[in-house]
Amino acid sequence: MALESTREIYWNIPSSSIPLMYLLSAVATGVMLWGFYRRIRVYQQGETWPPLSGLGARVFRGLKLALTQKKVRRQRGIGQAHNLFFWGFGVLFLGTVLVFIQADITDPLFGVRFLTGRFYQLYSVTLDVAGLVALVMIVGMFVRRFFVPSMRGGIKPADLWMYMDLGLILGTGYLIEGLRMAVTELTQNPELANYSPVGLGVARLVAPLGEASIRSWHFGIWWFHMLLVMAFLAMIPFTRLKHLLLTPLNYILFEDQPKGYLKTLDLEDESAESFGVATPKDLSFKDIFDTDACTSCSRCQDRCPAYNTDKPLSPMKLIEDMGKVCFAMENGSLIDGVGKDALFSCTTCGACMEICPAEIKHVPKIIDMRRNLALMEGEFTGEEVAKAMDAMEVNGNPLGFAPAKRADWAEGLDLVPVEEADYLYFTGCYGSFDSRNQQVAKSLVKLAAAAGVKLAILGPQEKCCGEPARKMGNEYLYQSLAMENIELFKEKKVKKIVTSCPHCFQTLNKDYRDLGLEAEVVHYTELLAKLWKDLRFQLGKTSLEVTYHDSCYLGRYNGIFDAPRDLLAAAGAKLSEMSACKEESFCCGAGGGRILAEENLGTRINNKRATMAQQTGAEAVVSSCPFCLTMMEDGTKNLTGEPVKAMDLAELLVSCLPTESTLEDK
Amino acid sequence: MKALVIGEVVQGKLAETFGELLGFAASLGAEPVGLILGDTAERPGFEGLLYIGTGAEYAPAAHKAAVLDVIEQEKPDLVVLMHSAYGWDLAPRIAAATGGRQLSEVISVQDGVFRQSCCNGKLQRRVKPAAGLTVVTLQSGAFPSAASAGTPVEKTVEQSSDGALKLTGYIQKPAAKVDLSKAEKIVSAGRGVGKPENIAMIQDLATALGAELGSSRPVVDAGWLGGAHQVGSTGSTVSPKLYIACGISGAVQHLAGMKKSELIIAVNKDKDAPISEVAQYMVVADLLEFVPALTEALK
Amino acid sequence: MKILVCIKQVADMESRFVVSEGASWFEETDLAFRINEYDEFAIEAAVQLKASLGEAEVTVLSAGPQRASDALKKALAMGADKAVLLLDPEAPKKDSWQVANLIADWAKPQGFDLVLTGMQSQDRGSGQVSLFLGELIGANSVSCAVALEASPGSIKVERELEGGLRAQVELSTPALVSCQLGLNQPRYPTLPNIMKAKKKPFETIEVTAALDPAQEVLWMGAPEKAGAAELIEGDLASQVERVVSILKDKKLVG
Repeated sequence: MALESTREIYWNIPSSSIPLMYLLSAVATGVMLWGFYRRIRVYQQGETWPPLSGLGARVFRGLKLALTQKKVRRQRGIGQAHNLFFWGFGVLFLGTVLVFIQADITDPLFGVRFLTGRFYQLYSVTLDVAGLVALVMIVGMFVRRFFVPSMRGGIKPADLWMYMDLGLILGTGYLIEGLRMAVTELTQNPELANYSPVGLGVARLVAPLGEASIRSWHFGIWWFHMLLVMAFLAMIPFTRLKHLLLTPLNYILFEDQPKGYLKTLDLEDESAESFGVATPKDLSFKDIFDTDACTSCSRCQDRCPAYNTDKPLSPMKLIEDMGKVCFAMENGSLIDGVGKDALFSCTTCGACMEICPAEIKHVPKIIDMRRNLALMEGEFTGEEVAKAMDAMEVNGNPLGFAPAKRADWAEGLDLVPVEEADYLYFTGCYGSFDSRNQQVAKSLVKLAAAAGVKLAILGPQEKCCGEPARKMGNEYLYQSLAMENIELFKEKKVKKIVTSCPHCFQTLNKDYRDLGLEAEVVHYTELLAKLWKDLRFQLGKTSLEVTYHDSCYLGRYNGIFDAPRDLLAAAGAKLSEMSACKEESFCCGAGGGRILAEENLGTRINNKRATMAQQTGAEAVVSSCPFCLTMMEDGTKNLTGEPVKAMDLAELLVSCLPTESTLEDK
Repeated sequence: MKALVIGEVVQGKLAETFGELLGFAASLGAEPVGLILGDTAERPGFEGLLYIGTGAEYAPAAHKAAVLDVIEQEKPDLVVLMHSAYGWDLAPRIAAATGGRQLSEVISVQDGVFRQSCCNGKLQRRVKPAAGLTVVTLQSGAFPSAASAGTPVEKTVEQSSDGALKLTGYIQKPAAKVDLSKAEKIVSAGRGVGKPENIAMIQDLATALGAELGSSRPVVDAGWLGGAHQVGSTGSTVSPKLYIACGISGAVQHLAGMKKSELIIAVNKDKDAPISEVAQYMVVADLLEFVPALTEALK
Repeated sequence: MKILVCIKQVADMESRFVVSEGASWFEETDLAFRINEYDEFAIEAAVQLKASLGEAEVTVLSAGPQRASDALKKALAMGADKAVLLLDPEAPKKDSWQVANLIADWAKPQGFDLVLTGMQSQDRGSGQVSLFLGELIGANSVSCAVALEASPGSIKVERELEGGLRAQVELSTPALVSCQLGLNQPRYPTLPNIMKAKKKPFETIEVTAALDPAQEVLWMGAPEKAGAAELIEGDLASQVERVVSILKDKKLVG
């Protein structure tokens, strides 16, 4: 007889087992759904509804991200392993769905069986390979989690059960297959058996037991496998496995805003009882959902500059602690749950959000809690920060310099009135007042002149962009400074702005839009790179061997990685990249308003980064941000061994300008 | 011209600044009439009249009454006190009762026109009081102390008891290990050091020089150093051979405490900082760079 | 308890001061202004007292030009209950006796139990207005408080003396206390308080009377640099070398 390429679904399983199987599935599914459903109550403590506009596009995005595992794969090594495991298990799941469709729909209703022939052969071999890949991955991941010392700290209570369950599901699956094949295919249909290589191996091992024994083993292990799968279903919401549903949902619920977006609070709102976040009811539905979507993978923690310098902040733990407070359903204090030291240690570098496979937004939550402390309690991380806030209010700059002196750095320089300028150069506080950064401001003016671009500055009327105030939670001070600047831009009819500070850039180009700014804003690296491409100026070559430090607010937040590198190449600098570069760049430590604060906990972030720069063997670490320059100046001074110079890209380029500028301004 | 010079008594001791009051009177060619209120065995040495009141050493209303009493008797042109905690507390009370003419913390006088410092030492004024009795307080150290010579003729003045205000005691700060007033060399840290961690580099320089560590008031108020290190009108008055001021702008109160130093070298980013008025040398540099470099060079 | 806090709005001390020829005060263009630092201690002390006493009303007052209303608003945001501006564009140029009389004319009939103010202003530094005011309104006054305790009827103060010594003084109300650095840490206004401040009573009274000046300013300007310091500039190494040679010359180092 012609042997069919197929198998009998539910071979060796009495028909009485089937209803029981369905009953158990229903129960397990019920438990799973209930497990998720009760979480909705917790999310609902957050009074703002999740964003659901454009649902179709959202769902498509979510599916795409989930199926391509795009965010997971960013972590090389384990990301690929997870991807393989995901697809391995996924394929097996699809295979089971096909069985269900045939066994419960097409066969009984229409007498159609499609798991036959060529298709079945393909089906069989695919599932066998997928299962093997999944099994190898799960064993590997188990070993990594339980036997690699650095990973043991992240073990959660139910992890062992989860790994064992998954591993046994896969293992017993092969056993069942092999036991069946020993009776139905090994001798009876050996050609077909080749399409299930793993099963074939198992079948050969068990064949000596004899059919009767094999059948009882098969039945027992089939039920065991079934119970394991039921357990798996039921445990999903109570273990890390909840990410199976919550992560794709989090992709769907994403907030469609520019990177680094922070809510612009309506401070005039008389009905608002409080500002910022203190308790779960101050959070939004999405914020609380975020805390649940966390799989505790610790990739954020691994990259956090505060965590890596022994400060009490771990972004993962912060999200977990917030989750704990939310799930306690007592409207308890989130700030106490997280800890003020942890809260103020954040530099808002964004490395956590960049790598998070679940798209959790750590930084806005931190800012919201800081807002509560600043606006409702007048509390900052130290007296020196309160003093800087006061200086911003009185003098328009956190350094406390007299506003009348804001344009002193530009005396005698090649600048034009605002009406005649191509760009308004928003110098910022450090460029205007800090002697080291004044050199950078002067360099930019020279470069613009060389390219024939006319720059103007606002001088004493320019106020701090307000960013450090905003990141420390003082939304009120930020908005008053911002409104003054925006009014001034409108009054002077400013159309194009260039900045030398990525913080000013992020703030003017994104944050100020909510407050009505319409002008075009660029960072000097973008502007110069374009001018270079348009052959607007010439550069000689430098012999410097450099490494480039990507500023968080230029790189991660705004995707500007190539412009500075193009300029370095244009100047002929020999570039050695640090291993933590571009999206993985390690913060200098000054962000999040921390430039205003003293670093009293742990070790110095800037020292760590300076050491990274030194390890490339470069002579100089180049950056394009006044905060980074300030931090790197300090950090490189503390190095032992080979010295490294800290410099700004603008300074390097100026040193390469062919017509040597007469440097009266030293 | 007659000047009523009022001394001060604290814990039974007569403040040495009495000599500066006499020196001021002498610089004007004024006849000094002394007044000391408060129980003390000490007497200043000068030729002239000295009124003594032996009541409480701090009782503003009673002291004011006693002063007005002496003014009535002696009809001086000027009433002179130090710009000290006692002086700035008593002077306005006397001035309020005699027409409101008071000039505080004067640094010099010429032809009846007094010079004062203002705005943290960035500006000065030359001021002439309206006609009539004027109360003047002197900046500590602005006028040279007159040499103690002679024995004054004593008269008593009644000191009533002050019912509404009572001095109930003194609190002494903990005993200082460091007595800056006797130090030969001092290196001082000011607000310009920026962070408490940077105090160590100032201490290193002091150690390399064999000097004591001093500070300006803001550093003590911020808790970066103990009060024993404070140099200034409410801290220690010092007169070392060498005073190096790091990151100190030179507020008048600080200058008052150290301007008698023989050699003053200031280290400051701002070449216009008021400390340059009393310093012989001003190193225009970032102290965070200069101080360690100097320490290195001295080793 | 009825508490009055007297404050002055002063120019920020980091400002570049410009005095015109023959002027008796500096130009105000391009200047940043703030509450006199010492007065902030007074406001904070008043607000803390109000919290500890439970029942107290804090009025904050300033004699000055229109811009002083910013200072008064900040004081309201720190917790004062009402503000009074004695509007006088000439106030910055008036002498302490004139200003004290201005304030006393308004304050005396009000019957305050306690008046708090800074011990001196950052710009003039005379330290006179506080005690002049005390004398004029008949309050028991004490200056230079670094510690303050109050209960209805009695005030306990620690005065700061030279050498870190402190004098303990007790006085009965009505009292006036001037506040010194170290008394407290002025609070940063919270947003709800900033918002509430906008609705608090704010009275502006135009000043008409003026006492004759008790003094005449003949000149104001930058100090003449007699024997000014020799500047040591240049690169770090040469600066260090110069200083070391100076020290060696004077035999201060071996």
